Amino acid sequence: MVRLGSLILLWALLVARVTAHHAFSPVYDDRRTITVAGVVTEFRFVNPHAMMSMDVTDDGGRVTKWSVEFAGRLNLSEVGWTAESIKAGERVTVTGNPTHTNSNGIFFRKLVRSDGSELLPAAAQRESAIEQERRERAKARQAK
Amino acid sequence: MDDSRVFQRAALLVVLAIASTVPASAQSAARGLEGMWSDPPVTIMGRLCAFACSDAGINAMNALLDDPANDAVPFATLQRRAVERHTEYVRSTLSELTLKTFPLDPADDPSFLRCEPWGLPTQMLAPHQLEIRGVGADRLELHYGEWDARRTIFMDGRPRPPGQAPTRLGHSVGRWDGETLVIETVGIARSLMWTGGAGVTTGGFQTSDQLTVTERLVKAADGKTLTLTATLTDPVSLRAPLVLKHVWRWAPESKITPYEDCQIPTEVKRGVK
Repeated sequence: MVRLGSLILLWALLVARVTAHHAFSPVYDDRRTITVAGVVTEFRFVNPHAMMSMDVTDDGGRVTKWSVEFAGRLNLSEVGWTAESIKAGERVTVTGNPTHTNSNGIFFRKLVRSDGSELLPAAAQRESAIEQERRERAKARQAK
Repeated sequence: MDDSRVFQRAALLVVLAIASTVPASAQSAARGLEGMWSDPPVTIMGRLCAFACSDAGINAMNALLDDPANDAVPFATLQRRAVERHTEYVRSTLSELTLKTFPLDPADDPSFLRCEPWGLPTQMLAPHQLEIRGVGADRLELHYGEWDARRTIFMDGRPRPPGQAPTRLGHSVGRWDGETLVIETVGIARSLMWTGGAGVTTGGFQTSDQLTVTERLVKAADGKTLTLTATLTDPVSLRAPLVLKHVWRWAPESKITPYEDCQIPTEVKRGVK
């Protein structure tokens, strides 16, 4: 299943720019997002970018291979990811940026497992701390 | 025991007593900087300085946060404005020659197109881990997570060998200025420098082999962060010294993992900002 969802992307995902060994804009379109659901066939927790392969089955039963690109292990391990964070055989729903050519590739922004648990990029996981700092700073300013 | 032996023993005891009072950290060429550092603390300024940042960007962010009118503005918007000020500052230091092509297209990045490791100008600002280690009394090794890059810093002041061709990471000589490690690097091969803020490789330009870099690394009083202030001078690519910053946090739990799966892209679109 592939759904276009560019207008409903969470703000947190918009600010979660990649921290990696190169810009991703030459391959992926950060103005659009898509959501893809399927079964994981492989997750490679490597540098400079972790990669996942998945089988996506359309309404007619046809299976296509998709690849999902992540930030690197150096980055993701800083927020607790391991090689076991995503397992082959899992059914997952991935939201991310499509390629400019609309090939079967996507840059990870959010992954939801069948039990509802989520994986987010390192930057998105840190948003609450950033917002808390903003609130405290505004409070201190108002108290002056 | 004759007097000469008594004197020798006393002298030996004095030497041992002095040696035992020297902190262990001072016995390493890395002093108190030794160990593993990684991504900056999860703070607004840490986010801004996760790659390259500048006083211009930091001051802009502080001004934006101090303005009550911005309290409801999404952080991403504020960050973008601060990075714009940072980029304006970078632009103000570039030579006429460099301005003709600034900013370079990310699609022309050799690290992306051909998996070529970064040169020093970008490597020194790399996100993620930096491990600093003393090697004997007169050398430091700086080991970066990105590209698994390693630099040797000579602490004995040795000059660059005559006739040595420029290299990707150059020839680095270090010294201590109080508690600040100062590293001077010359002999750096032409490199693509990324100056983008907030962890994104944007704002690229080409440095020449006449580039010199002075890095000042200082640990915060509480020992929790390490700040780099790098001053770049280059008569070809710059009209004025370019001063950039980067912050790491003390991260003894962090590990540098293998960097051996770089994939050359199969599809590339140029001209995308």
